Amino acid sequence: MEGIGLKIFGAFLTAILAFTVGMFYGGLRRKITARVQNRVGPPVYQNFIDLMKLQGKQTNIAHGFMGHMAPMWIIIAAMTVLMFIPILHNGLWFDNLTFKGDLIFILYMMVFGSLGMALGAGQSGNPNSAIGVTRGLSLMVGYEIPFVLSLVAIMIQFHTTSLQDLMNYQYQTGRWIILDNPFAFLAALMSSLGMFRYSPFDIVGAPAELASGPVSEFGGKYLGTMMTGGSVFAFIKLVLIVDIFLGGAGNVHMSGLAGTLIGLGELLLKTFLLYMIPVFIGLVSPRFRTEQAIRFFWKWPTFFGILAVIWAVLHPVGS
Amino acid sequence: MNPIINILLVLFAGSILAFGIDSINRKWTGWVAFLSVLLATFNLLSQTQASDVVFSLGGIRLKWGLSSLRLYFTYIIIILNLLAFLYSIDYMKGKARLGYFYSAFLLTVLGMFGVVISKDFVSFFIFWEIMTWSSFLLIIYNAYYKIKTEGLKYMIFSAIGAYAMLTAIVFVYHFYGTFDIATAIDQGVFSFENHIYIPLFFALAFAIKAAIMPFHIWAPSAYADSPMSFTSVFSGAMSKMGIFGLLLVLSTYYALHNPQAYIFTQILAWLGGITAAMATIYALIQTDAKRLLAYSSISQLGYIVVALSTGTKLGVMAALYLAVLHAVFKGALFMVAGAVEKQAGTTDMTKISGLIRKMPWTFFVALVSVIALTGIPPVGGFVGKWLLYEALITESNNYFLVIVIFFSSTAAFLYAYRFLFGLFLGQEEKETENVKEAPVKMLIPMLILALISIVTGIMPGLIFKPAAAAMREIGFENVNWEMTSLSNVWGNQTDLSLIGLFIAAVFVLIFIFLTFKGKKNTRYVGTKDISSSGELWKEGENWTFQQDFYKPFERAAAPLYKYKMNKIWEDFGNALEAFFNFFRRIYTGNGQTYALYVIGFLVLLLLFKDYIFR
Repeated sequence: MEGIGLKIFGAFLTAILAFTVGMFYGGLRRKITARVQNRVGPPVYQNFIDLMKLQGKQTNIAHGFMGHMAPMWIIIAAMTVLMFIPILHNGLWFDNLTFKGDLIFILYMMVFGSLGMALGAGQSGNPNSAIGVTRGLSLMVGYEIPFVLSLVAIMIQFHTTSLQDLMNYQYQTGRWIILDNPFAFLAALMSSLGMFRYSPFDIVGAPAELASGPVSEFGGKYLGTMMTGGSVFAFIKLVLIVDIFLGGAGNVHMSGLAGTLIGLGELLLKTFLLYMIPVFIGLVSPRFRTEQAIRFFWKWPTFFGILAVIWAVLHPVGS
Repeated sequence: MNPIINILLVLFAGSILAFGIDSINRKWTGWVAFLSVLLATFNLLSQTQASDVVFSLGGIRLKWGLSSLRLYFTYIIIILNLLAFLYSIDYMKGKARLGYFYSAFLLTVLGMFGVVISKDFVSFFIFWEIMTWSSFLLIIYNAYYKIKTEGLKYMIFSAIGAYAMLTAIVFVYHFYGTFDIATAIDQGVFSFENHIYIPLFFALAFAIKAAIMPFHIWAPSAYADSPMSFTSVFSGAMSKMGIFGLLLVLSTYYALHNPQAYIFTQILAWLGGITAAMATIYALIQTDAKRLLAYSSISQLGYIVVALSTGTKLGVMAALYLAVLHAVFKGALFMVAGAVEKQAGTTDMTKISGLIRKMPWTFFVALVSVIALTGIPPVGGFVGKWLLYEALITESNNYFLVIVIFFSSTAAFLYAYRFLFGLFLGQEEKETENVKEAPVKMLIPMLILALISIVTGIMPGLIFKPAAAAMREIGFENVNWEMTSLSNVWGNQTDLSLIGLFIAAVFVLIFIFLTFKGKKNTRYVGTKDISSSGELWKEGENWTFQQDFYKPFERAAAPLYKYKMNKIWEDFGNALEAFFNFFRRIYTGNGQTYALYVIGFLVLLLLFKDYIFR
């Protein structure tokens, strides 16, 4: 039973880590945005305060069954994906269920939350929410194409569909996959801009246009739960790209607590630097229209994705 | 007595009896039909080890029998039909010509069953035609006025397929001297080495039945205009007859992997991929839920054809698995559309919305089936998608086909959401105020199908087991499968039971948290009580968002919408008409011209007499 107890402890630890880092990054983004716009801005822990306020609300507005389920689905999707993504290479407690699911599963599970959100927003009956959802789903068709192209390229280049195998390869050779297939990284990075939904791709929430879109009818505990799920998802997206292309984290040849801590530091550094790319692009970009956003993803990112697949066929690495 | 004969007799007798009893008491018609399918089901389940039925008809040896592959498809047919007939009883209540409907329906079932059990080409063809003709009667049941447009399309395409198949059968007998399917396959009928047109003609017939582009144009209206209880079988089981046929055609390729057939499988795979993508983008601009499902059905068949054409273990497994799952979730979805049509009067999504509170169980079925359709874990559809992608990525070189498939399955989220939102979510309008939940006899089959979707998501082995047996028959030895986990040839695996357990655990935790936290202070509001940026809702104002649902996507994908297969076939038809119009001028109706023809013919005979009368 000790094994299972440790697993559950590890799962909770991973969830807390993902939640804290995600929320903290969100606050940091707000701060950076404010400083660039020459404002003082909220403190970096503002997101935690917001969450506490939302969860502490006395009255909650519920819009029926799907509205009740939507935040749940987001949390379920976020937690499940989190369990199947290796956080550290040889961390003490973070290996969770990473051997039990592969990239295709992760890809599909990530959509689960969006669908729940879409259904919940749909039941509220707010036209703005529905418009936001249609935009979000359309945008998804846009950025999934280059993202899947890049993942397919990696899968056929390394002859594995498992994230853990990719990390092991980078750990053993000390060579990041970004060097083996730079085009795949470019395609994935560009499509991750769409996944984060910051400007110029903030067409789903679209402040001042759709009254915050799909979430406009959610408040109190529902919005708080959604915010938690969203923060975890932000962390997941970052870790996914770091794991696949940037060598993952925890590559120091040290075991025990010290190794884990250094690994976590490495992870935070890499994810933070990666996170700054969509944030800074968002700071200087106006908003696309939906069709422009979709077209954008079908042009250069898809081109790089196709290049990546060709590159992968020409330079196979796995046996 | 042999169960095969029993089933055929029961279905045939049911067909006649249903027709007769309709004029005595209309209430009994549906029950008689249901009972006859129920009897057939019992016959099938009681004795699966049936010996072959062999008899001679006009000097031709006919052979009917079951085998694991045939049994696999028989299960799809019989079980889906059983549920559809139960559903029919209430769905068809109060409609005209019940005897006509049920007897044609039972004949269709008989035809499908016959196609699957036929072990020789002649009875295969006969049953194929019974299936086609009786389904034609059902297509025009609702839309008699469309017989000249939509009915004719189905008829013409089916006729082309049937003639192609008949020609191929004649060639088979001419070259190989046998009508027996197994013998002919052993002699290399489908090896693509010589007489390449034989497998091509067969494949044409099967591709038409499976609605593969460019032969799909009959399908959208045929699926949408038939009574929904039939459409769930039409799309769920009858289109699988095309898949069954393609499996037979490709079985030589599966066993030998001969390079001659490789090109054919590649073409077929790309046709399937393009079918999947194009049908998807047309599905998401439909405003009628039935047409949306019809296009979706075409696109799903595209996936199955892609999976078939890979010719690898995982791929064929994916095809067989998807064949069942498609029957399950698309059968359920068409039943949902039928229930909405029955209760709310229409399935036009611009007219109705917000049915979730009125029809919660129907919504539940729709939700589970849509999750299965889009392939999101932990419901059964995911397993099919996983197998398909892993087959394409790990076992074939069709990397760009993966993208086409992925594009269509991502775009499938759009129409899946459109379906759920259009019928069940959104504003609750006055028009749908008095809508009630569907009758129990309609709900039970739908719920059973939803349950199958859920269970197969955790335990796909239930389907893998018969599928593996079926694959052994068409040339795949030692198919590995596990009850609750999936693994590909590279040794990567996905453990479904763990995933299911984990999702259940998180679900329970978060459900308790969200439901009981501040339960007393949670206020339930209607769909008019929403944030509207300061504007107040006035009585009678319509806030439903249903028109131009995916306009931005349409704009972005505008180049894809330019190509319409209907238009191409219409042009082709017009060209043919002009061509034949030219030849028609021979018949002027003038006696003198005809006399000239006769004289001209005699002159020709005289001129070439040396060559002709040698």
